Amino acid sequence: MKTTYLSKIRRWLKAHPSYYWKAPGIILLLIIASCSIKIDSVVQPGSVNGGDILPVTLNVTIQTNAAQTSKFMVAVLVPKVWKASQNTTITFTSDITSGDQPMTLIPAGTPAPNGNGLDWPTYLVNKIGNGGNLLNDYEWVAFYSNAAYAVGGNVTVHATVSIKIKTSMDNLMFKLGYCVAESTDGLSDPQYYNSNFPGCFTVNGTGDLIDFCNPQLAVVDPRTSLDNDIITITFDGGVTLTALNNASQVYLCAKGYLTNGDSVTVCTQTTDTQLRSLGLNRWQKDVWPRGYFHLSDNQRLARLAYFFTDASGSVMVGYGGGADPFTYTFKCQ
Amino acid sequence: MKKIFYLLIILAVFAACKPEHMAIPSEPLKDINGSWQIIKATRNGTDLTTRFQFSQFRIHFTDSTYTIDSLVPFIVSKSGRWAFDDPHYPFSLSFTATDSATKSSPLLYPVVEGQRNIIITFSPGCTTNAYQYTLQKVN
Repeated sequence: MKTTYLSKIRRWLKAHPSYYWKAPGIILLLIIASCSIKIDSVVQPGSVNGGDILPVTLNVTIQTNAAQTSKFMVAVLVPKVWKASQNTTITFTSDITSGDQPMTLIPAGTPAPNGNGLDWPTYLVNKIGNGGNLLNDYEWVAFYSNAAYAVGGNVTVHATVSIKIKTSMDNLMFKLGYCVAESTDGLSDPQYYNSNFPGCFTVNGTGDLIDFCNPQLAVVDPRTSLDNDIITITFDGGVTLTALNNASQVYLCAKGYLTNGDSVTVCTQTTDTQLRSLGLNRWQKDVWPRGYFHLSDNQRLARLAYFFTDASGSVMVGYGGGADPFTYTFKCQ
Repeated sequence: MKKIFYLLIILAVFAACKPEHMAIPSEPLKDINGSWQIIKATRNGTDLTTRFQFSQFRIHFTDSTYTIDSLVPFIVSKSGRWAFDDPHYPFSLSFTATDSATKSSPLLYPVVEGQRNIIITFSPGCTTNAYQYTLQKVN
């Protein structure tokens, strides 16, 4: 492809010999007019134990085209349950600084440069995305360097960023993400920022596995809730072959375990328990657990165990498509 | 003589002046008496209006009390008393259900297509889950 372009350029220059002397100037101008910031590599462990500090190193190269004085920005995409804004420290070293340079959390609501009024976390979600995490319970947490740094034009700077995040005790799999930019240009053009998503990362913690990485047969949204929330239960039959693969209707069969040790079961195939079709073998139902199980004022739900059934109720699909129920625990972060 | 004449004219001009009493318009008290229904509901920004059965819910406001029909997740679960933070310029609507502590919601009070709406935001379960209901008076 490059050869084709070069041949074309060569032919064009032959046809226009007067441009021979101008060509190097045009190429030089193109080089000067570009600048870049790049995460060359990310060093992070594949897993840590729940509650451990996650150490991450980013190796970053910055090339400038003009002199500028800006703050350095580093953002991480993390599960909300980590409360990373309170549990993260970021520092960096570089060719143009001496010693560890501290960074500080950008206060909520601070507009990002050229971000149309959006703050950094929102702008990062809109521009960089969620890294392929499948549960909507993630956040970008952004830090600025405490100092602004004057960098000359046409300079290459190498920086090594050290990130330390205290993880929660939760058992989870998550696709961490990293973004670097500066405080003048923000995310206004891809040349001014760079992101990196190294893949699925595991915390060996306690409790039900929260898997952000792999498609799930059943997902409950919000991921954390109490019985007085409205929860959305989605059954994705496209993830794997199940006994409900050809079902024209799908119903919820659920047992609610109360905090007092009692349980309540709603497992009849009626319009109240029927899931609506989203197409492509995906089904969904919004449930207000207190109303669904007709709880009295003094009753509280601790957790749910549930199956999906066909219209007859005889075909039941549980966790992993098997005979054990899906489970959901009512709790807040 | 002329001087006396001019003096009389000046006195007459000044005597004709009277202080003008301007009435400062006052903001009317916001009246929400009546029955209201949910016309829009979101959870963490996701629109649930057509996905969940909100249509039967009614809240009936009188001068200082309210009653609820066909409960859905709401800022309170029982009838009780309500109040604005400021009856003229309300920015908050508080509910005190019977035998419960007072719960307050930020309040928006826009007129949309000629209809007064009440928009309240609250968390009936986990505080991380924010619900926003838009209420409109039932005709």
